[in-house]
Amino acid sequence: MNEVQAHALHGRAATIQARRAESIRLEGVSVAFGEQEVLRDVHLEILPGEFFAFLGPSGSGKSTLLRAIAGFGPPPRGRILIGEEDVTHKPAWARNVGMVFQSYALWPHMTVWRNVAFGLEERGVDRAVIRERVGRILELVGLAELAHRRPSQLSGGQQQRVALARTLVVEPRVLLLDEPLSNLDANLRVQMRRELKELQRRLGITTVFVTHDQEEANTTADRIAVLDAGTIRQVGPPVELYDRPRELFVATFLGSANLIPGEVVAEGAARVFRGPDGLQLPVDGAEPLGRAWAFFRPEHVRLGEASQEANGMLFRGVIRRAEFLGAHVRYTLAAGALELLVDAPHDPNVPMVAEGAEVRAVVPTRLVRLLRA
Amino acid sequence: MVQLRRLAGTATAVLLFAAPAMGAGENQLVVVTSFPKDLTNVFKQAFEERNPGVTVEMLKKKTTAGVKYIQETAANNTSDIFWASAPDAFEVLKGDGLLARYEVKATGIPDKIGAFPLNDPEGYYKGFAASGYGFMWNTRYLKAKKLPVPEEWEDLTKAVYFGHVGMSAPSRSGTTHLTVETVLQGLGWERGWALWKRIGGNLKTVTERSFGVPSGVNSGEFGIGVVIDFFGFSSKASGYPVEFRYPSTTTLVPANIAIIDNAPHPDLAAAFIEFVLSPEGQELLLDPKIRRLPVRPEIYERAPDLPNPFAGEIGASVYFDVKKSKARYNLVNSLFDVMITYRLDDLRAAVGALHEAEAALAANPNEEAAKLVARGWELVDAVPIDEARSLDPEFAAIFTKKRRKATDVVTGRQAEVEREWDAFVQANYAEARRLAEQALALLR
Amino acid sequence: MVSVRGHYGAWAVALAVLAFLLLFLVIPVAQVIYVAFQHPNTGAFTFVNFVDFFRNALFRESFFNSLYVASMSVVVATLFAVPLAYFTTRFDFGAAALIQTLGVIPLIMPPFVGAVAMQMIFGANGSINLLLDEYFGFTIPFMEGLNGVILVQSIHYFPFILINLAASLQNIDRSMEEAAQNLGAHGFRLFRRIVFPLAMPGYAAGAALVFLKVFDDLGTPLLLNVNNMLAPQAYLRISSIGINDPMGYVISVILVAFSLFALWVSFFLTRGRDYAMVEKGGGGLGRRELGPLGRLGAWLVVLLILLIVLTPHIGLLLLSFGTIWSFSVLPDGYTLAHYEEVFSTALPYVRNTVLYAGLAALLDVVLATAIAYIVWRTDVPGRRILDYLGTAAVAIPGVVLGIGYLRVFHELPVPFVGTPLASWWVIIVVALTVRRLPYALRACTAALQQVSVSLEEAAFNLGAKRLRTVRRIVVPLMAGGIMAGFVTAFATAAVELSATIMLVARESDAPVAYGIYVYMQTAAGRGPGAALGVLAVVMVGVATYLSHRFVERGRRVEEADRRLAVAQGA
Repeated sequence: MNEVQAHALHGRAATIQARRAESIRLEGVSVAFGEQEVLRDVHLEILPGEFFAFLGPSGSGKSTLLRAIAGFGPPPRGRILIGEEDVTHKPAWARNVGMVFQSYALWPHMTVWRNVAFGLEERGVDRAVIRERVGRILELVGLAELAHRRPSQLSGGQQQRVALARTLVVEPRVLLLDEPLSNLDANLRVQMRRELKELQRRLGITTVFVTHDQEEANTTADRIAVLDAGTIRQVGPPVELYDRPRELFVATFLGSANLIPGEVVAEGAARVFRGPDGLQLPVDGAEPLGRAWAFFRPEHVRLGEASQEANGMLFRGVIRRAEFLGAHVRYTLAAGALELLVDAPHDPNVPMVAEGAEVRAVVPTRLVRLLRA
Repeated sequence: MVQLRRLAGTATAVLLFAAPAMGAGENQLVVVTSFPKDLTNVFKQAFEERNPGVTVEMLKKKTTAGVKYIQETAANNTSDIFWASAPDAFEVLKGDGLLARYEVKATGIPDKIGAFPLNDPEGYYKGFAASGYGFMWNTRYLKAKKLPVPEEWEDLTKAVYFGHVGMSAPSRSGTTHLTVETVLQGLGWERGWALWKRIGGNLKTVTERSFGVPSGVNSGEFGIGVVIDFFGFSSKASGYPVEFRYPSTTTLVPANIAIIDNAPHPDLAAAFIEFVLSPEGQELLLDPKIRRLPVRPEIYERAPDLPNPFAGEIGASVYFDVKKSKARYNLVNSLFDVMITYRLDDLRAAVGALHEAEAALAANPNEEAAKLVARGWELVDAVPIDEARSLDPEFAAIFTKKRRKATDVVTGRQAEVEREWDAFVQANYAEARRLAEQALALLR
Repeated sequence: MVSVRGHYGAWAVALAVLAFLLLFLVIPVAQVIYVAFQHPNTGAFTFVNFVDFFRNALFRESFFNSLYVASMSVVVATLFAVPLAYFTTRFDFGAAALIQTLGVIPLIMPPFVGAVAMQMIFGANGSINLLLDEYFGFTIPFMEGLNGVILVQSIHYFPFILINLAASLQNIDRSMEEAAQNLGAHGFRLFRRIVFPLAMPGYAAGAALVFLKVFDDLGTPLLLNVNNMLAPQAYLRISSIGINDPMGYVISVILVAFSLFALWVSFFLTRGRDYAMVEKGGGGLGRRELGPLGRLGAWLVVLLILLIVLTPHIGLLLLSFGTIWSFSVLPDGYTLAHYEEVFSTALPYVRNTVLYAGLAALLDVVLATAIAYIVWRTDVPGRRILDYLGTAAVAIPGVVLGIGYLRVFHELPVPFVGTPLASWWVIIVVALTVRRLPYALRACTAALQQVSVSLEEAAFNLGAKRLRTVRRIVVPLMAGGIMAGFVTAFATAAVELSATIMLVARESDAPVAYGIYVYMQTAAGRGPGAALGVLAVVMVGVATYLSHRFVERGRRVEEADRRLAVAQGA
């Protein structure tokens, strides 16, 4: 999409906004394929107008959850509400939930125009109105000139816009996107995700999208639900998930993490985290006893500055590997039995630490969090 | 891959296990025959029992296909005997020089059955059983449909039998050809064809094979069938609720056997013929599945239920002229097909309408309508050529010509002649139907 | 395409295959065509025979009847096939494999018996009409004239549509359908607007095959005594007027030309429309559970269709166990005598059938694999010709091939056997091979196309020679398709009659179909003939079912993987 079209898309988006945004509420939703349970007891509320992401690895159940909202897949247990309406047992075709498929699912035997007009025709909309609305939405996505092509004659980005137009033209109550960007090349993907976000802002439509790409989720979503093995692990805005993951999985799935195994023990009234090699960290008195992990991000570790940060965890070790990544250098530090990742900002005036060098490293206590497995 | 290999293994094994049966032995007699398995099996088993080490191979073909097969394979003949009903088929083969002359040693067989000479006077083929022609009916069918039992050919033209009769076409069935030709000879060309066309108007179907007729009667698809006697007898003997009758216009025609010229096993072939004509061979004909009329008069003493032609128990009034039949063999076939088989729907429509008009006429006499109906029947009965033309060798040659060499030239095209006939009968049937409807309109 | 270096092997194989096709397909058919253009009187080249044909009202009528019957058969066959294909591929249906097997059984009904059985049940005085007449006082002319041909043909050939349509339906990406549901479409509209158009290529292929088969078919109209169609006219002309009558050949040429045309039209219509649709995470139409009412309704529809299409088999079974069945709803009594007779006398027929059909099917898959490989994986010039020839065999009526063989081979003696090739049993195998090659070719081509070229390249890369690669990599990977081709060829060859009837030279060489024909020519033979028919159906049916299981087992593993992938949300 070129700049002019992108502009057009933003400028006119408001004209097709018709409905008030609606919430989506999932209450104890479970889905099983035969014996195999792929979603377990999911509770979630997506707010009206929110841009929400389901993030998780393959097999986490994120697509199944999205499809359950649209009414596909095996009938779920629990309740699914859109706005105030319980749609759990409503068939897919009666839900008026817009969904864009990963493959776009454009019908190869119909032209772009017929594809887009389909939903309106199914709704028995007057033909003149169909002509007007299809024309408008195709113009909106910049495809008016390609209306009489077949999907196979379009590029990937154009196909995606047809799929979007086809879904939006019926003015669905909520918009569901199943890995909408995964079939595009890297550059287009970055551009499209911005435009998607802009479009969503203009329309104000409650939007859920599924992705396995944390960067995509972080850059577009208002809030993210991280899924793993059929359950929601944590819900929150991207920054919160990154900074304050509540569990090991979330911490490792979003960004790189240093994790030190250990145990919280009582020392008199105070509590202390004890790791390997005599590593110690005073922790909050309310912290429960037992096994735990000390977690911190690689960019929070400083090399050779121990003296300046008295209130921190100290490591001594050898640089095993130094990888230049442009904005920063990633060092792998072997400290006793531990291997730590350290990201140091790249400074052209400071030489990189050589592999094999003995260094000290420190991470401030305030940037270390305790996680339970 | 494993599966494929196993598959290949199986196929090879099958091949090995099947192979021994495939070789043609020195003592294997090959018989080309139109007779059904029930007949051939009985003779095959009996002959093999009496001649240990000999096997008889029955090669089943329809009569016409058998003739064609022998003609086509003549250059490299592998068959010993031709064994079928229709004498005309033997005449054809004899004319082509494809039969071998053979003098029968067995004695005690009369020269004639009814008015028909049993054996080829020139000694190429022998009669081994006789058959007459008539019709069979399904008793349950007639009872359910409340139909009377027909007695003569003419009965089959009556309105009550409309849609209840089945027969085969002479072009497809040697026996049907004999039946048709017998009637043509017995009643004369014009009256004969008129009879067949009126029966044709009552036909439910024209079957593709001769056996289609008894098969249809047996299953009750139609009630009455024009058949050769043994179809009726054997169906009844097999338990079907059917009966058979010879009408008075019929003939007894021998079913024949002959040695093929240049046969690979002439001695075995001769032995087989002698066996078939011997008293024990003749008695096999009384088997309930066969029921053909033996050519040895003394055998009838053992089968009181079988009509004895030598004692005049079959009123075979027609002297069947084989020469005449042979002269117009293909022509009659073609004429029947053009007028009846292929125009069955038009013919039925015309005859049906005429029946209806006649019924109305009987209830309400009207001279003008009667004239229309009579004219309608005339149109139905009309034949595009007369008997003299049917026997004109030059005209008949159009139907029999065969270019043997690339340099041969013959005149006239069968397709052209048939097109003219077709146009003739189609117009007549349409007009007859129109007249009948006109008569009906007058009577209402 | 793998480039070929030192490809003498490929050349040799291509030439051998070409020689086979020339000798046993092209030359015999060319013989037949040649006669059609010969002046009947002088032997000169002429079109006068074709002029005669089109000026004859009967032939014109036959031509239109053939067109009408073929078109209507496609319509009726569609009515049978579409619900069966849709329900079994679209819904979680108990015994889908069983239904699809039963759906294929009609293809293996031996001729002659099938029509007799149909007459017993649907005929003017068959079971159904006798019942109707008794209780309601009317009858339905199911089997009258062209109706009968259409009914029998559509029952016999609808599996062609079923098989192709089911495959097409299975290949539609599920999201195609879900997208439509998401936009508010469901039920019949969804089927009409999205599912059916997407399955169109498969449907068109099946429908074209039905059309062509019906147009060419000889046996059924003959058995039902319908003469006013092209194939029976050709046969009757040749078999009753003589092998020298040009009209038979003219009709043969018209049959062949029209069949090739139909083949070309279907090819043209589906070209570029074969939507390669299975995409990541897609994988076939989602199977859905039906509600209890829907389930009942679907079962009722499926059972009704199965009941209709299995009528010939039901009738056949009754005939084979019945004593006398004449003008009555059911046979008078039941007996095992017919089976006793068959087991005591008719086993050579069965052995011959297994031998002929087995050898023919084996030859077919060998030829088909060779052709597929040469066409798709080598650059032998003109290789496409092999594909076209192998496929075009489907358009050659059995009668035409039979006549051609008789003409070409009857004076060609086989060394050491002492009979002409035309009357040696091997010619039957050859005829069956040629007749069934298109089926095997299609299965093997599809199988080969699913084997990635890179797998072969990997083998070349590791130093394997071409022949070894084909043997060790390609053929094992194609095993499923080859197996399917073998079974289709075997099953249909086992009941073939139209070509074999002209080529059987001795009863001891005769296959089952011919044996049934012989039995059915006598009053007492109807029961044993039916029993032999049942035997043939069971034999082929079991083989089909086993292969279906074999193929299905492979697919189930895939299916399980796929479901898992879908569940895990790509």
